[in-house]
Amino acid sequence: MTLAAFLLRRLGLAGLVLLGVSAIVFFSLFLTGDPAALMLPADASRAEIDAFRAAMGFDDPWIVQYLRYLGAVATGDFGTSLRFHRPVIDLVAERLPATALLAVASLAWSTLAGFILGIVAAVRRDGLIDFLVRAVALSGQAVPVFWLGLLLILMVSLKWRLLPTGGYGGVTHLVLPAVALGAYYMSAVTRLVRASLIEALDQDYVRTARAKGLSEWRVVMRHALRNALLPVITVQATYFASLLGGALVTEIIFAWPGIGRLAVQAIQNRDFPLVQAIVLLAAAVFVLANVLVDIAYALLNPRIRL
Amino acid sequence: MTGRASRLAALDLWVGTGLCVLVVLAAAAGPALWPADPIAGLLAATLRPPGTAVAGVLHPLGTDQLGRDLLARILAGTRVSLSIVLVAGTIAAVLGTALGVVAGYFRGVLDAVIMRLVDVQLAIPFILLILLIVSVIGPSIFNLIVVLGVTGWGIFARVARARTLEVRELEYIEAARALGLPVWRIIAIHVLPNILASQIVLLTLELPRLVVLEASVGFLGLGVQPPTPTLGNLIGEGRSLLLVADWLVLYPGLVIAALVVGFNFIGDGLLRRTRARLQ
Repeated sequence: MTLAAFLLRRLGLAGLVLLGVSAIVFFSLFLTGDPAALMLPADASRAEIDAFRAAMGFDDPWIVQYLRYLGAVATGDFGTSLRFHRPVIDLVAERLPATALLAVASLAWSTLAGFILGIVAAVRRDGLIDFLVRAVALSGQAVPVFWLGLLLILMVSLKWRLLPTGGYGGVTHLVLPAVALGAYYMSAVTRLVRASLIEALDQDYVRTARAKGLSEWRVVMRHALRNALLPVITVQATYFASLLGGALVTEIIFAWPGIGRLAVQAIQNRDFPLVQAIVLLAAAVFVLANVLVDIAYALLNPRIRL
Repeated sequence: MTGRASRLAALDLWVGTGLCVLVVLAAAAGPALWPADPIAGLLAATLRPPGTAVAGVLHPLGTDQLGRDLLARILAGTRVSLSIVLVAGTIAAVLGTALGVVAGYFRGVLDAVIMRLVDVQLAIPFILLILLIVSVIGPSIFNLIVVLGVTGWGIFARVARARTLEVRELEYIEAARALGLPVWRIIAIHVLPNILASQIVLLTLELPRLVVLEASVGFLGLGVQPPTPTLGNLIGEGRSLLLVADWLVLYPGLVIAALVVGFNFIGDGLLRRTRARLQ
């Protein structure tokens, strides 16, 4: 199979997955039987519900409605927010930069820190440093992001008054949410880098490199780490999903005006067109990240090329 | 090396099991252990810090804004959260294993359809999917269990399928097939026991994720509704009182951390042990 065919097949699968997500997102509103009653306030009268149902086309057969929804989405029309009475796509677009900033900042520091800690722990394996790094990694994975966030607010913002408790502004506003959101991910990267580096260091080619008289630094950085990268990259895509989920809670705690906060507000307001669009967007990002990882993997590792 | 590895595995298992048993026993014993009422409070005793006594009644972990004993609320909340997580985890494991075995054993169209469903399910951030469904069908304990269980099967199916693909090629299974054993017997007697171990390890590694997920939904106020306490909604309620009563946030979080660490240690220990045995 050529790279082009591989790409085509991979993109086809991605499209199929998104089609499935759209079906789940669409039909979940029918779980209670009447989406019109679901979307209107509890005190809406029977006549109001009927009028709304007719206006939204809920009386048509399901399959007709679903195809109509798909057609609209394909042309970029994600519907109108029930709460804000504005196109959903505009609302999402407004909030996207804040979430992207938070995600990139968290991903950047946690990947960097994870790699450094993982390398140090693997090189000094079974020593005191290794033990300490593993303790840090363990606690990073043990505490839920919202609890860590609240502890950070309590200590850093309320008690020491070093950084703002929340909101959107300069770098000072970004630090705490990024730390809270990235902690779990940093632990995961640390553990992965440590494990795969230890495995790589036991391989024959590393022994050869050492026998050649290369410095330990060069052996680790040039020979072992290169091969330890692959499993890390593969798992990164999976963690990307938990990052998106974590952003939801983080944004609530730190009053960060991003997609996550928009999603929770939309759910609380029963603003379903908005919720649907956000779920679809999150899934699209996840699927795209996975495709990119697959491509990177194929490029980095000629052995699995197809 | 192997001796060392198995000692480490044993240590992991002991620590993990110890932590989990402690929390589970405390949650199960609940009222017998600490008879204070988790729902009814004393308005004369609001927001007392840990260790204070009001009218001769000791509050080891303090009280909340309605004068309810925090220890009693945490015990009750742990029981609710843990029940949801354990039942949901079991549902996800059984459902996923069944679908994965079917996909791996029969291959073909069924396999393709089930695996695409797994892809779809894993593409949606769990918490968004759960929030969406719970907001439609309502946040009862039963609904939460069903939603957490039904949305968590994907990873179990993926692993069960991979293991089944390996196992079905083994000679004695081919022999069983040649003998004309019915398919369901081959699966029940020969395939399932072979993949059970890896599924149990996976379950212990999935449980901490479910603990955090359930707590997150509760924290956002979209899970089990007050006054019934859960580990998540306790922290959610305490959030606005962070500066005056930080114990309301601290202690429930510690229980979550203990559960997550405990399950993770058990999972890691089991993993190490299977690996050590393979070597």
